[in-house]
This record gives sequence, C-alpha cells and structure tokens, in this order.
Amino acid sequence: MEDEGQSLTLVARKSFFGLPTACPVCLPVYIYLKFSRIPFSLEFNLLYPDSDQIPFVEYDYSVAYNNEKGGVIQKLKEDGVVDLDSEVMSIPEWLSMKAMVESWLADAIMYEIWFGSDAKPANKIYFSDVPWPIGKVLFLKRAHFAKQLLGITSGNVERREEEIYRRAELAYAALSSRLGEQKFFFENRPTSLDAIFLAHVLFTLHALPETSVLKSKLLAHSNLLSYAENLRLEFLDASTSSAVPQLDPSSSTSTRGPTYWSSKPKGKTKREKTWEEKKFKRGANQAKFTTDMLSL
Amino acid sequence: MEAPAQSFPDYNESSSNGNKDQSEEIGQDEVDEYENGGEESNSLNAESGLRTDRDVLGSFFRRLSTEQVPVRVHDIIIQGNNKTKSSLIESLVDEILRNATSVQQLAGAARYATMQLENLDIFDSVIITLDAGPRELPGTANVVIVVSEKNPLSGDFGIYTKPEVKSWTLEAALKGKNLFGYGDIWDTLVGYGWGQSLELSTGVSVPRFKSISYPLSARISLLSQDWLKLSSYKEQVMGLSLGLFSSGNHNVSYNLNWRTLTDPSQMASPEVRRQLGHRLSSGLKYAFKIDQRDSPLRPTRGFAFASTTHICGLYPDIRSLRFVRQEVDLRYAIPLGLYRASLNFGISAGFIFPWGDGFLNKSSYIPERFFMDGTASPVCSLKGPTSIFGFKPRGLGPAEPKRVSRDDSINANSDSSSVDHIGGDLALTCFADLSFDLPLKVLQNAGIHGHIFACAGNLSKLTDNAYKELSLQKLRNTFRTSAGFGLIVPTRLFRMEANYCYVVRQQEHDSGKTGIQFSFSS
Repeated sequence: MEDEGQSLTLVARKSFFGLPTACPVCLPVYIYLKFSRIPFSLEFNLLYPDSDQIPFVEYDYSVAYNNEKGGVIQKLKEDGVVDLDSEVMSIPEWLSMKAMVESWLADAIMYEIWFGSDAKPANKIYFSDVPWPIGKVLFLKRAHFAKQLLGITSGNVERREEEIYRRAELAYAALSSRLGEQKFFFENRPTSLDAIFLAHVLFTLHALPETSVLKSKLLAHSNLLSYAENLRLEFLDASTSSAVPQLDPSSSTSTRGPTYWSSKPKGKTKREKTWEEKKFKRGANQAKFTTDMLSL
Repeated sequence: MEAPAQSFPDYNESSSNGNKDQSEEIGQDEVDEYENGGEESNSLNAESGLRTDRDVLGSFFRRLSTEQVPVRVHDIIIQGNNKTKSSLIESLVDEILRNATSVQQLAGAARYATMQLENLDIFDSVIITLDAGPRELPGTANVVIVVSEKNPLSGDFGIYTKPEVKSWTLEAALKGKNLFGYGDIWDTLVGYGWGQSLELSTGVSVPRFKSISYPLSARISLLSQDWLKLSSYKEQVMGLSLGLFSSGNHNVSYNLNWRTLTDPSQMASPEVRRQLGHRLSSGLKYAFKIDQRDSPLRPTRGFAFASTTHICGLYPDIRSLRFVRQEVDLRYAIPLGLYRASLNFGISAGFIFPWGDGFLNKSSYIPERFFMDGTASPVCSLKGPTSIFGFKPRGLGPAEPKRVSRDDSINANSDSSSVDHIGGDLALTCFADLSFDLPLKVLQNAGIHGHIFACAGNLSKLTDNAYKELSLQKLRNTFRTSAGFGLIVPTRLFRMEANYCYVVRQQEHDSGKTGIQFSFSS
C-alpha cells in the first residue's frame, strides 16, 4: 500500500484562511496523504486558476491528475502508491456516504464559494495571484461555469439555493448519526471518506464567513465539530508549519519552478479567533467527556 | 525666336509609364505665328516650330549637362487626391522639393518624392510634372503632383510558407487602404497552419500622424502555437502590439500580451508542468539592424549586424512576467573571385534572464527561451542563435523526461519523443560557409550553387540557480558541432538547401542526425 521509497509532491492551490491549501478540491488530497503518513512535499500553483488538472501528485516520473480516472486519490490507489480504502470498498454504506459527501456537500461548498459572500472566497483562493485583467476575466468565466454545473439560472436561483442547503442539512444529519462518537466513520481507521469530509468541515469552518448558511447548519452538529477538531490536531496541526512552504508574494517562482510559491499560514482574523475560542472550549469539554468515557 | 531668359522646358516625372515627356515652353510670338497664316504657311510654320522646339530643347539640355541651372520651387500643386489629405502628401515631399536649388536637383528630388508617395501603397500612379513658375518670377518652377488613388478595399488569399518552422499556412487577408485619408492601412488577417497553429489579427498603420514624422502601427492579435510533440505545451497569445518608432535601422515596439500555456496531453515534464497557466507580459522591444551584404539569400560581400533587446515587465502589477532578453547576430561575407565563391562567417549569441525580487532563484519563461535546430540556414537568417545544421526541430539543448504513465490510454503517441525540449537561457552559435558556383552553365543561370559548411552551437540553462554550475570549461565541453556540404536552390519565395550533414559532436537527448537534410530560409 505505501511505497516508502517514493518521494511525493502534492501541487495544490495556495494556502489561505489558516489552511494548508485553501482550495476545497485540493484539501482532501492533502489530508488523505496526511492520513497515510507518507512524507510528501507541498507546492503551490498560483497561475492556473481555471485548470481542472490541479491538484496533482508527482511520484517519480508519474503524475496523478485531478481530472483523470476518478481523481488523484483513485489514481494513487490504482498505482499502488497509497490505498486507505481497501477494507471498506465493499461496504455499501461507505460508498453511499462518500457519494453523498462528494455530490451534495461539494455542491454546497461550490455554491457558497461562488455565490455567497460576493464570491470573496473564490477570489482569494483562485485569483489573488493572477494579474488584474486576467484574473477578472477568468473569474467571470469560472463563475459562469459554476452556475452551469449547479444548474442555476436566473429563474430558479432561490429554488436551487433552498435545494442545495436542504440536501446539505440532510447530509450532515446522516453523517452525524453514522459517526456518533467514533473517531472515524468506518472500521476505526481513516479512509478517503474521512479525508474528504474532514476537508469539507475545515473549509466550511475556516473559509466561510460567520453569516454563511452552510456554516450555521454544520455548527448544529457538535460531534462533527469535535471529530474535525480531533483529527486536525492529530494529523494536521503537528506538522502544518513545517509542511507548508514559505510564500513570497512578489515572486512568481520558487526554488523549484516559476509558478510555485510557498506560504506560511496567515494569521487568523478576529472573527475566526472568536470562533476558535468557542471551539476550544467546546472541544475541551468534549475531550474531557471522551477521557471520562475511556476510563469507564 | 528666343526662349525667355532663364526659362526651361517642362520636366515631367511619371511613375506609371516611366517615360519622360519633354515639352518646351512656347513664347507668345510663337503662338501668334501658329494662329496666323494659311494652310501652306501653317505647314511651313509647323516645320519651323518643330525646328525651334528642337533648338530650344537642345540648348536646354546642353545647359543641363554643362552647368547647374538654378531654380526655386514656387508652388507645389496636388491634384487627384479625392480622399488623401494634402497635408500628408506635402509632409512627405515638401521639404525635399523646396530644398532643390537647381533643375538637376529638382529632377532628382522629384524622383525621390515619387518613390516616397508610391511607398504609401495607396496610389495607383504618381505623376510629378515640373512646370515653369509665374512669368513675373523668373527662375521659379511649379511642381504639379497628380495622384490616382487606389481602390480602398483589397483582399489576399493564398498559401504561404514559413520555412523556418517547416510549416505552411493558409492565409486570408482583407485590407482597407486610406480609409480616412491619412495613408492609413487597415488589415485583418486569418491564418491557419498545418500543425494546428492559428493566427487571427487586425491592425492599422499610418506613415505619419500629426507632428510624428515616422510610421506608427497598432495590431491586435490572437495566436495559437502547438508544441505538444516536442515540448508538451501549447501556447495562446492574445494581445496588443504598438509600433512606436521605425526608421531605417531602428525599430521600437511595445507589446501587451495575455499568454497561456496549457498541456492537453497531460504528458509534460516537471519543468513544463510548473509553467502551465496564465501570464501577463508587457514589454518594450528595440531592434537594430544593418545589412550591407549584396544579397540576403546569397551574400558574397559585405556585413550585417542585428541586435534585439526585449525588456518585459513594464507593468505596475508585480505579478506580470518579467525578464530581459538580448540577442545579437553578426555576419560577414568575403568574395573569393573564382566561380563567384565567397566565404561567409557568422556568430550569434543570446541570453534571457528574469528580473525582480528573488530573480536568481526564478526560472525563465519557456516559450521565450532559445531553441536551436537545422531547419533554417544560419547564413541567411538574422534571427538570433537559432540555426545549426544537422539537428531536428528543437533538437538541441536541455531536455527533461516526459511523464511516465502505467496506463496505456494516457501514454504519448509512439512517434513522439520521450523528452520535452525546454530550451536554454544562454545560446551561442557560429559557422563558416564556403559557397561557389557549380561548373554547369544551366545551374549557374538558375542560381543553383554549392556550399561547404561547419557549424557549432551551445545551449545552456542559467536560471533556477543553474548559472552556479556553469563554467567556461563546461561550456567548451558541451558545444555541439556539425559539418557538411550541399546544394542550394534559390526560388522566388525562399532558399532551399539539400545538405549532407555530419554531426561531429552532440549531447545526451539531442536529436542530431547524420545524413541528408533539407532546410528552408526566407
């Protein structure tokens, strides 16, 4: 399953919102590799915001692209680089939960990025490093594409919005019920479902504003929040500052190549800190509850 | 009958028939003589008039051949310009005509003025007539310029060669000439090339604009180039180009482009993969060229020098593309006499380097790097260090392995290379070429001649800290060399060469090939 001799490089979109990569498509791959405990380096592509090839993982002279055969994670499984799903692939509930996260929750994130909050998250994630007229044109092009993907027209905006949020609420309820107080969703071990959902939760909590409807629906499920917090502390926080390279905003190149910059996680906003404080208090209570449970 | 003092016959300069009409000024007495008298006396008078004309003309030309006949231009009269602004014509010819102080100088100035007006490409014909000035102002002349304006709309359609890249393009162009009367030429061009290259552009040029006395031009274009097979990328360039200054040897232009690199094949090497995306380039280009060779396609004497400097990054946004690119060419031809033999030497060099914060660690933009091959003759081309015989297209220089996939459906086509040619930041080429006529008369008449040549070239990487490992020793050791002989067939459109090349030295991943090769230069 794991090839310890290979050196992996994940090329993703830039770091922002305190996340190692701010892109909701790139973050699951990052977390999946973290779950696998395989050492890998992280590089950013800042000049190709409309590419569906990103994220991609390089290993030796091979590449697993996002737009090929089920995506990066699937390609890594097929090439025998890393496979966390071998024991759960035959579980129907796992498959259906994963499909639900990859469709309903992904649509909800896409809606929030492009059509909520004046599309500020989208601008920050994809276009903040592209020179002005190009960034503006590409933004309009991508927003139009997102509209088509979500099936939104001028006549059905409200209906589609209601439908998207309703499905997200149903998904959260189902996932919360399935998770309970477990550490992972299935078999007490991380799978790609955990990677994808954890990325969704972290993105929703860190990147979306306080007024986000999706965020408010997620906050209603405390076990999902503690699940995310625990996994973040265990798999991401310990090595976040060393894994994320240094960002030079005035340079278009890194030591590796011309389009790759590195980034320190940016300081969190006051609003985020307030949310973080609340989360810590809630998490502390949760941790105490868990410890008490373990001692039983 | 005497011709008035200091008068001279009309001198008519025409571009449409090339003949010089010569008319003689006739005095009032002579007119009276023609009008009076009977038929017999008329015929006698006509004969007498002709003799007079010949005498006056003869006297005039004797004066021209022996002395400077002083004259001053009194008035310049322009006729036939229904649309063209008189100010445009005057600005081109006024000074040169009024500076003439003799009839001889005025005749020469008239020829030059004709050429200037023809070069505007907006007239079917230009006729300049030198007429006597007012009687009360002896020693003066009037210049009458009669133009015939062209049809404003014209079109071209055809197949054009681009020998340097061994490709052909199908092009259609629509031109609008002199639409606003300023000698403005508008054109729209659509070109489609074999190998899926596409060009769509529209532009305008004016010979002069208000107080600016040199040509100005502007062009908007969309260009798509496919280098997937050799370098795993396609480039789209959409932008604006402004010709700011052009005179003789100098040319300054500004370019603002949106450049996009993509890899639809998803087989690119890491170096190319890291450069995929969108960039804004804004830069000034200065080109200087002087070519004193007797022929650009078969130079036998003289020298040529060309230099192009491109500074990119002149944009307030620091995220735009930034680099400095310089290339120089020097050519020298020495005639040897026998069989029109001549020895041609040449050296070309160039470099590209990014600038801005952290430039030492940056990589240069691949499409702007230097690439070398043997598709064009180094003797003819003055386009930087690009030519060395014996190598396939982009077949020399740094290369990186392409992506390897275990999936057969993703793998590259069997006929494409397994490496990406990524070009170099520092390029040097030099050559020596001995050309000579062949003994057969029929070949000499057709311009077909032979040559023996030797070439050398080097293409190295400087960026990404590669300059730290560069040394003179390493440069010397990585020079590629080739030699050979061949036949040169000049055609109306281009110069074709059939050469036998022997690659003396090449490096790993170079595509040098010993054998018969064809190259084309235009």
